Amino acid sequence: MTATVQTKDKRVNQTKRKDAHSVSKRLQQELMTIMMSGSSEVSAFPDGDNIFKWIGTVKGPKGTVYEGLSYKLTLEFPADYPFSAPTIKFKTACFHPNVDEHGNICLDILKEKWSAVQSVHSMLVSIQSLLGEPNNDSPLNTLAAETWCNQPKFKELVHQFLKKSKDEST
Amino acid sequence: MVALRLDSVTGNFGHKSFCPPKPKWAAPKVLYGFQKLILVNKITTMMGELEELQSLLHQPLEEEYLPEIKDWFLSILRRDILANIGPSFWELISSNTEQSEEEDVSGFVSAMNVLFAKLRPYMDVADHLSKKRELFEEMKPRDDATGFQVKVQTAIRALLLHRTTAKFQSCVQRFYRKAFWSFHGNKPSNSSTILNNSDGAISNSSDVKMDETLDEEENSVWETKGTGDTITEGYGSNITEQFHRINKNLYTTGLLERVCGEAVTSIIHVRIEEFVEERCKGEFEQSFIKDLEQWLNTQVMGWLRTIFDGDQGETSSGQSSSQTLSKWNERLTYFLYQTYAKLRIRELFNIIVEYPDSHPALEDLKESLRKTDLRSRLIQSLRVAMETRLLHPGVNTSDILTQYVSSIRALQVLDSTGVILELVCEPVRSYLRTRDDTVRCIVSSLTDEGNSDLADELAKSNPLNIHEGQGADDGEEEGDPFKWEPDPVDADPGQKLSSQRSSDILSMLVNIYGSRELFVNEYRSLLADRILTHFNFDTDREVRNLELLKLRFGESQLHHCEVMLKDVADSRRCNANIKSAKGGKKDVDDKENKEETQEQEEEEENVDDDLPDGGKRENLDFKAMILSAQFWPNLKEEKLSLHSKVQTQLDKYTKSYEALKATRTLFWKPNLGQVTLELELKDRTVSLAVSPLHATIIMHFEEKEKWTIQELSGVMQVPSTTLRRKIAFWQSQGLLKEDPTDCFTLVEEDSGRGSKEGADEVIIESDDETESATASTQSQTLHVFWSYIEGMLTNLNSLPIERIHAMLKMFAMPGPATSEISEHELKLFLDKKVKEQELIFSGGFYKLPKADGQL
Repeated sequence: MTATVQTKDKRVNQTKRKDAHSVSKRLQQELMTIMMSGSSEVSAFPDGDNIFKWIGTVKGPKGTVYEGLSYKLTLEFPADYPFSAPTIKFKTACFHPNVDEHGNICLDILKEKWSAVQSVHSMLVSIQSLLGEPNNDSPLNTLAAETWCNQPKFKELVHQFLKKSKDEST
Repeated sequence: MVALRLDSVTGNFGHKSFCPPKPKWAAPKVLYGFQKLILVNKITTMMGELEELQSLLHQPLEEEYLPEIKDWFLSILRRDILANIGPSFWELISSNTEQSEEEDVSGFVSAMNVLFAKLRPYMDVADHLSKKRELFEEMKPRDDATGFQVKVQTAIRALLLHRTTAKFQSCVQRFYRKAFWSFHGNKPSNSSTILNNSDGAISNSSDVKMDETLDEEENSVWETKGTGDTITEGYGSNITEQFHRINKNLYTTGLLERVCGEAVTSIIHVRIEEFVEERCKGEFEQSFIKDLEQWLNTQVMGWLRTIFDGDQGETSSGQSSSQTLSKWNERLTYFLYQTYAKLRIRELFNIIVEYPDSHPALEDLKESLRKTDLRSRLIQSLRVAMETRLLHPGVNTSDILTQYVSSIRALQVLDSTGVILELVCEPVRSYLRTRDDTVRCIVSSLTDEGNSDLADELAKSNPLNIHEGQGADDGEEEGDPFKWEPDPVDADPGQKLSSQRSSDILSMLVNIYGSRELFVNEYRSLLADRILTHFNFDTDREVRNLELLKLRFGESQLHHCEVMLKDVADSRRCNANIKSAKGGKKDVDDKENKEETQEQEEEEENVDDDLPDGGKRENLDFKAMILSAQFWPNLKEEKLSLHSKVQTQLDKYTKSYEALKATRTLFWKPNLGQVTLELELKDRTVSLAVSPLHATIIMHFEEKEKWTIQELSGVMQVPSTTLRRKIAFWQSQGLLKEDPTDCFTLVEEDSGRGSKEGADEVIIESDDETESATASTQSQTLHVFWSYIEGMLTNLNSLPIERIHAMLKMFAMPGPATSEISEHELKLFLDKKVKEQELIFSGGFYKLPKADGQL
């Protein structure tokens, strides 16, 4: 047990020493994977010239209140990615039990359960499924968590929320 | 006599130029000083003065006087040259202006003769003086004595020839050229010479001084020493004698090299150039170096020997002249090599063209390069030759490749380190990189046995693995460290070591692009093409090629190709299986189509095709080619709905296949394949091998004799323009005719065109359909780009073209330069997408069409 921890630490240290080049290479690789996957459900692309800042798009999963909607997210990768989790936030206002008003997401794999085998694609897919299956036990948005059991009402709120934020932005 | 003179001396005792080395001799020196001064005063002509000096010499002299006498002598000589000899000589030389060669030469000869006549007494005295010296100082080394000679010679040289005129130079040149030609004209025809100068009146040889006229020397035979030809003796000896005399005189006065060096050098250089040109130009299959050296030693050096040794057989001058000669020999050998190398360098391009045959020439050139410093010139000139002769649009890629391969081989002979090769072929490589068909050319010539030595190269045993870029990083040094040689100076230090500079032709070719992948991909599509256009299931040759390629590129790279070949074998088995399951129904004709299964497999099929009267045979014989789409390159997609008869067969086949291999099914590629048709018309039968599209067209005419193009297009789901092109084929076969416009009818009876095609004529279709079955790499890259573009537009909403291009460049083009796309190309591509309604273009921004709920 100790041994493994040590190796892990070592690896992390090593990676930290590595320059940003290998990180951007990895990101490029992930971009390629996403681009070539041909999936229309989730997508992401670097926002401008900086490959450490991406914009992602997640479509509302079918059969949920989010169906037909599409949400934008911002992804920011740390310099020691993939050994630390990226910071992912909703750009589009999202009415959801695990998303707060600033777009912060409460998702274990992005926090304490982060692991280097995660990829941008897998994260986005996780977020997409989170939309359909919120964790109501640890809500960031209590109103949403409370309303969740009343789906039609929830849907209405989702759309209201969207519309409101859209109006605000325009 | 000295004493006598002393009596009359009155003047200056303290002459400063006399600095007696030893005080006890002081008195006699002073005496001599007096004597000299008197002489200067009394004697007005130099000759008189010289005579005085001579007479002085006849008397016994004390050693101490000698230096003074020498000085005196030198001063007489100097004054005489400046006052008399020099001016009169130059007068003579320049007097005859604008004259013919003969007159020039004769003028020169006479001038020289006069000069020597005038100098003779001085030379005698000088000789005398140096001998006197020897008498006095036998114990002293000789160089003192020769020192005086040298002094005299230097004086003459300096005062007489301190300025030479162009006229003089040209005279010398002409004289020596003549002598040279006469010497060589003589050589080959020693005793059987036919005298050509019948009309040439050779002047009497008695008078060699002034009025020598030389005519018709070009063909006359010049006697030279040792030839001993009695017939020509009387004649040629004239000029030759003069030649020798002048040489000898020049030699004794020390003027020889000064006067003739330049002329002789230039004459010999011209001769060497001519000779090399004559002898070696365009002849690459033979080594010339030995011949040339021999020629130089016998012919040229022989002549030089006559100049410097003279024919007097003097032994005294032997040592110095042999020194001179060996110096000349070295110089001329160098020049010979240089000339030869220059010639070969000029011809290097052709030498490379003829490479294996021109090996001797290359070896020669290598030898010459070692002795001269023409390496950089070679590189320069070959580069230029390559660029002007090879690297322009008028040359076929395959020709460039052939030349490139020859260059690799030839330059390997020249320079085993490969530095020249690298420097010279760099432009070729970068040019080849710009041609689209390079890879295809290489790959096809690699695998095409008929064509080329590249195929042999591939089959060569013990091939080197092709390394990418960096090469092997193992530190092991091969070979004897004592035999290590540094890289040539012109090697690029940034490049790898010479040991890693590969000589392997294949890897050189592959490295044009710096990537194996490109080659493997090209080979893959080529292989696919070959399999899909021939439809023969015999893959032995391909398997052999593949095995050979595997040796070079490694197993993993060619895994796909292996699967492809395995597909072919599997398809054959599968066909047999299904056929026997069907009960071995036999049909005459074949039709082949190809398809793709759900598991991405593909098929080719043979379908029997019947025409009006053979309509009952519903079971068509067909063979399918089942391809694993994962491993095959992308195949061209074309919409085509086959004739229902064929389609039902295909469906049946699919069912049998599904039964045979559970969980798998087939997707058909109806546009690929080959159909062998036998068309029975009223008056004839036509057998043809055509594409499925063609076959489908004609099958439709089986049911209905008249179709409009729109109807056909509707049934077959093929755009009418394509359809029209295909129908043209049948029209040319005389089976369909267009009447009226856009309406086609079957020509049942061959009216009046019978002469053109016999009933059983088999025409293998060969229209524009020969194009590749695989989608081009360009469109594949575009496909990749499209997914990136979609990705960025999904996330970033709308972008101008510059941004798209920049982003693509940054994120989607990490690979080799070949996959790059210019902004213009991108624009065309995007516009196409806009037309297909996959993109929206507004206000300079591209965006994706909005899906519902998109924000």
